Amino acid sequence: MTKLVRVLTYLLFVSLTAVSSIASATNYTLWINGRTGGGVVGDYTSFTYWGPSSTAAGVNKKAVNWDGYNSIASENGKIRDALDCFCTGSNWCYIATHSAGDLMLGYTLANYGGSTRMKKNATPNSSGQCGNSDGTTQVGWNIKWVRVASGAAGGSELADAGSWAMTEPLAKDLKTATARAMYNHNETRNVWFYMYAGAKGTLYSGILPGQDDEAVSYHTTGGVSGSSGASFCNPADWFCNDLTLGTAANEGGRAKWGYHSVSFRDDNESYNHYSNGNWQGIISVVRAAMVNYAK
Amino acid sequence: MPSKPRASRRKPETQPQQPPAAGGGWRRKHWAAAAAAALALVAGAWYWPADVTATAAVPARAQAGSAFLQTPPIPNSPQQSQAAREVRLQELTSQLEMADQTLCSYREGTKYPNSSRPIAEHPDQVYPNHPVEESHAMRKQGGGQDATVQVQTSQSRVYMAAGESAAFSIKAVDNEGKPLPVFITRAVARGLTFQATREAPQVALSFTDDGSNGDVKANDGTFSSVLAPAQTEFAQFNGTIRTEVRYNVGDRSGIVVFDVIYSPENPATWTGQIREAIEDGSLSFYLKADVRMPGRYIVNGRVDDANGKPFALVNFNDLLPQGRSEIRLTVFGKLLRDQAPAMPLRLRDVDAYLLKENVDPDRALMPRLEGTAHVSKTYALKNFSEAEWQSEERSRYLAEFGKDLDIARKALVEFNPEQAKQPFPQSECSRKVAAAGKGG
Repeated sequence: MTKLVRVLTYLLFVSLTAVSSIASATNYTLWINGRTGGGVVGDYTSFTYWGPSSTAAGVNKKAVNWDGYNSIASENGKIRDALDCFCTGSNWCYIATHSAGDLMLGYTLANYGGSTRMKKNATPNSSGQCGNSDGTTQVGWNIKWVRVASGAAGGSELADAGSWAMTEPLAKDLKTATARAMYNHNETRNVWFYMYAGAKGTLYSGILPGQDDEAVSYHTTGGVSGSSGASFCNPADWFCNDLTLGTAANEGGRAKWGYHSVSFRDDNESYNHYSNGNWQGIISVVRAAMVNYAK
Repeated sequence: MPSKPRASRRKPETQPQQPPAAGGGWRRKHWAAAAAAALALVAGAWYWPADVTATAAVPARAQAGSAFLQTPPIPNSPQQSQAAREVRLQELTSQLEMADQTLCSYREGTKYPNSSRPIAEHPDQVYPNHPVEESHAMRKQGGGQDATVQVQTSQSRVYMAAGESAAFSIKAVDNEGKPLPVFITRAVARGLTFQATREAPQVALSFTDDGSNGDVKANDGTFSSVLAPAQTEFAQFNGTIRTEVRYNVGDRSGIVVFDVIYSPENPATWTGQIREAIEDGSLSFYLKADVRMPGRYIVNGRVDDANGKPFALVNFNDLLPQGRSEIRLTVFGKLLRDQAPAMPLRLRDVDAYLLKENVDPDRALMPRLEGTAHVSKTYALKNFSEAEWQSEERSRYLAEFGKDLDIARKALVEFNPEQAKQPFPQSECSRKVAAAGKGG
């Protein structure tokens, strides 16, 4: 008898959980890492790349980990798995990316943003894949907007100059000409990418044109369209075109990619590229914005 | 480690004072120009507009500096309580504007489908076959840079279809733009492999400035070469081919790297037949293809008006089965009605590839249709629909963003009941739409 009660209680719990995961509309905040990775792939609670997981970083935060070493294309399935899990059906996502995570998400939306997706139940297995919810499909994912900390979707001259290991597959994708030709950066499926550009860089100022955060230049972190190599700076710089805030073309006339808007420009040169395992650098600025807006 | 001279490049401060930077540095060259500017300033000739910080087009509180990172004060006095209230009010207003912007821009941006967009929204997609041109300070072979030598490079392709070739060029100039003599010492193309997973072919290339082998003009200081993988050991190579060019400018030795991604596979071929039809109020071009490898194909075409003015980017992104298929590229009716391009329309520069999931390289290109692929008939605009694009996806997004706006409005009214008696704050997008008399 006791065993029967236990079984019935278990079944009731399972069915309630299933119903809840299907029916309830939930907002999630996804964090997509960049080069080097560090979090456990498939474990959406593993925030090693960013900082302590106890830190607030937007509603229902999930770490979308990929290895940050292999190429964008070969790792891309992990991002699609996460988007399927949390951003389909009645669930919606806010997304934050860092560095090559920008290239990764841009590639995903441009190539797969209009594909047919199975609606999932937001309950991942150990590989980071979720079960189907009601067996129906939808076109694309449910994404409200994206905030990008030092995005590298336009590549980095550090990859051009061989400053990163030639044995690393991701480094070839981050070559500026390759990154910019990889997909149509203007095609975000009408989802806004809010760009946060850091400028506390000195070490590679000879390689990285204009203002940089020690890994990526403003021409990329500001979502500037066209070839790389152009210098963009803060308004205080006399001899370098300004990276403008918002969607306006930059000083000198260079446009930004469609649905890309500069939300933060580091006029005080206070933020570098790196989290230091503690939500630091330009990531700190994006984290604050996610706490404020991702509800 | 190069250092950046700081103060001399600063424009006068025109923004609110911000906390001093913890570090960072100042940039680059142009010292003569800096001195000239300083002289002009002393002479009273200086002028700088007061508003040098662009206004953000979105209400996401675009900002320079870190004001929004500040923690609200703890209210332990009436003044502080009022300050905390102001901060909260600002926060709620900002969230409302964000929600309004998100809804408005989505509604405006999706009047046309993603598969048929004004080409002005895709400025870097207008001429896909133009070479990629970059410039940078000379990268020295042993590491480091020489900023007195600027290197200009060009490559005709990044992604290559089977049988295609890519032209590379290199030129060196000084800081005044005057050409510097370049001597190519070694140029080698090799296939990139990782963790020794396969053999990497290697081919020597010859860079010349004699008007041949990809070189446009003889003796102009630009050295060029052509990589034609199909005619070399790369014929069956599938992946990234890296060409390293080592060169001298005077006694300085530099290096330039060109990458192309080559696939010997030909996943599908065009039959050459293209037909057109008016369907559901839009103009569709149907391109026939023989598909050998089934899968997701991504096809982009450009549409010019009768005067050659680029008008639309049309796109196909869907699964194709093996066998004969028709790939549809649609010019959306409302886009035609809104922009009223001169007829007939010209479909040109169609590129296409099979996208492979989770592998690298991730694509196999179909042969490119360079130049004009098809010229349409001449139609009166009244043949096309003025209706906005509708889809389940669009309805889903508009419903969710509308719900978010309601929530943000309610939160603001709950915090500040006076808000209910006045218009809600609007985003830049809503203000523009209202100004254009399109409602709101």
